Amino acid sequence: MSAVLRRLAATMALPALLVVAWWWTSDASTNFYLPPLRQILAAFADVWIGDRFATDVLPSLARLAAGYLIAAVVAISAGVVIGQSRVVRGIAEPGLEFLRAIPPPVLIPILILFAGIGDQMKIIVIAVGAVWPILLNTVEGVRAVDQVLIDTARSYRISGLSRLRHLTLPAAGPQIFAGLRQALSIAIILMVISEMFAAREGLGFAIIQFQRTFAIPEMWSGTILLGLLGFVLATLFRMVERRVLFWYFGQRAAARDH
Amino acid sequence: MLEVEHLRKIYDGHGRSVEALRDLTFRVGAGELVCLVGPSGCGKTTLLKCVSGLLAPTSGRVVLEGMPVSGAPANMAVVLQEYGRSLFPWMSVSANVELPLKQKKLPRARRREMVGRALDAVGLADAGAAYPWQLSGGMQQRVAIARAIAYEPHILLMDEPFAAVDAQTRAELEDLVRRIWAGFAMTILFVTHDIDEAVYLGQRVVILSSSPTVVQEDLAVDLPAERDQLTTRAQPRFTELRGHVYEQIQKAKAAAPPSSGVS
Repeated sequence: MSAVLRRLAATMALPALLVVAWWWTSDASTNFYLPPLRQILAAFADVWIGDRFATDVLPSLARLAAGYLIAAVVAISAGVVIGQSRVVRGIAEPGLEFLRAIPPPVLIPILILFAGIGDQMKIIVIAVGAVWPILLNTVEGVRAVDQVLIDTARSYRISGLSRLRHLTLPAAGPQIFAGLRQALSIAIILMVISEMFAAREGLGFAIIQFQRTFAIPEMWSGTILLGLLGFVLATLFRMVERRVLFWYFGQRAAARDH
Repeated sequence: MLEVEHLRKIYDGHGRSVEALRDLTFRVGAGELVCLVGPSGCGKTTLLKCVSGLLAPTSGRVVLEGMPVSGAPANMAVVLQEYGRSLFPWMSVSANVELPLKQKKLPRARRREMVGRALDAVGLADAGAAYPWQLSGGMQQRVAIARAIAYEPHILLMDEPFAAVDAQTRAELEDLVRRIWAGFAMTILFVTHDIDEAVYLGQRVVILSSSPTVVQEDLAVDLPAERDQLTTRAQPRFTELRGHVYEQIQKAKAAAPPSSGVS
């Protein structure tokens, strides 16, 4: 137990220090745009604990989840197909690199034309941004499956769906998860941006509203909430990754110990 | 059981054309344990890939039980040298051994039974729940062998399976192969670069020349059927045979053009 506590203390030490430093240095602040941390935390309690959580944060999280999952399903499926064939890769890669370079926020006005200003548009924005790291990492993961494993599967005549399930996807797993992790960060950013232009509710919308109405402590509190959200999601992600890729971490640990 | 007829393989690429195998002809009868040995770079792995259907020959053919081989045949199992990389690390040992059986669409109870028997035969009855990366090299190779046995192939190909294993483990595994061959009445084609191993294991030793490869000699090993590491290797006949094979290989190496390093 004490090892866990020690690790917790080590992880929390630097953030705690930074918070204390922030509190200290901002306590006497009279700058309108940089209020004391005390005020920000008071605003945090007022604003986010209560109704607003359900009316703003949850819808945003729901859209984030939808966009992210759509991106994951599309990207992994396409990635597997593209990764397995050198010909398809050659044809697809230039186009993919081109599309990937377009920043999703730039596409928002176009998407508003096609998808309106509702949830659909926001989910599409998130998905369009999140799809690229997952897709490209999946292609790479599938392409780089160990030839010895491929030969073994071939010699035992393991093919089709069985091969996908038992060889291709697990082998590409670590690379796919790397892509999923990058996509998570991008998705959170796009969740906020998608609510900047045409929205009626949401975490990003609330923060922008506060900014536009000069409710600065509230704006800062929203920013802190966003950071906490990112941290929680990243931690959850890491927990899932540890479970799914237990074999990968185990293998690496075993190799290290030799 | 297995007939290799005038097998020829030329690798074309990058402006170079390398004739790895020129003309290989030999056969393996049902129930035999035949060893293939040759100088380094003589195309043993190319040969094995052609025989196992993973590589198409340039000309000539491989016939398994009367049917020409194109693509991996159903009645053959292969044990590779890189045991660490041939086992699926995301599956337990039992799951690894069971996977090819799932392809054969056998009912679960039967599969479990076969997995148990195979792991027992290689001495890993307790390791079913472990993962490959938790095992030592020798144990991983045993799992690969168990996987091949559980598949109940008509012929088992082994491509230098003990090359990357330490000498003591290699001795144990050699005896394991002999036991399996006798206990399961298998046909085994065993490729090795280790002359002692080839003579110790085989009923026949097919000696390959250097690249471009042909069969240099097909030698019958008239050692007793009961073999063990201590006494068999001390027999004068063993030394004679071993010496003969060694000579042949030296001759093969001397006759070769500068090695093109194809394997």
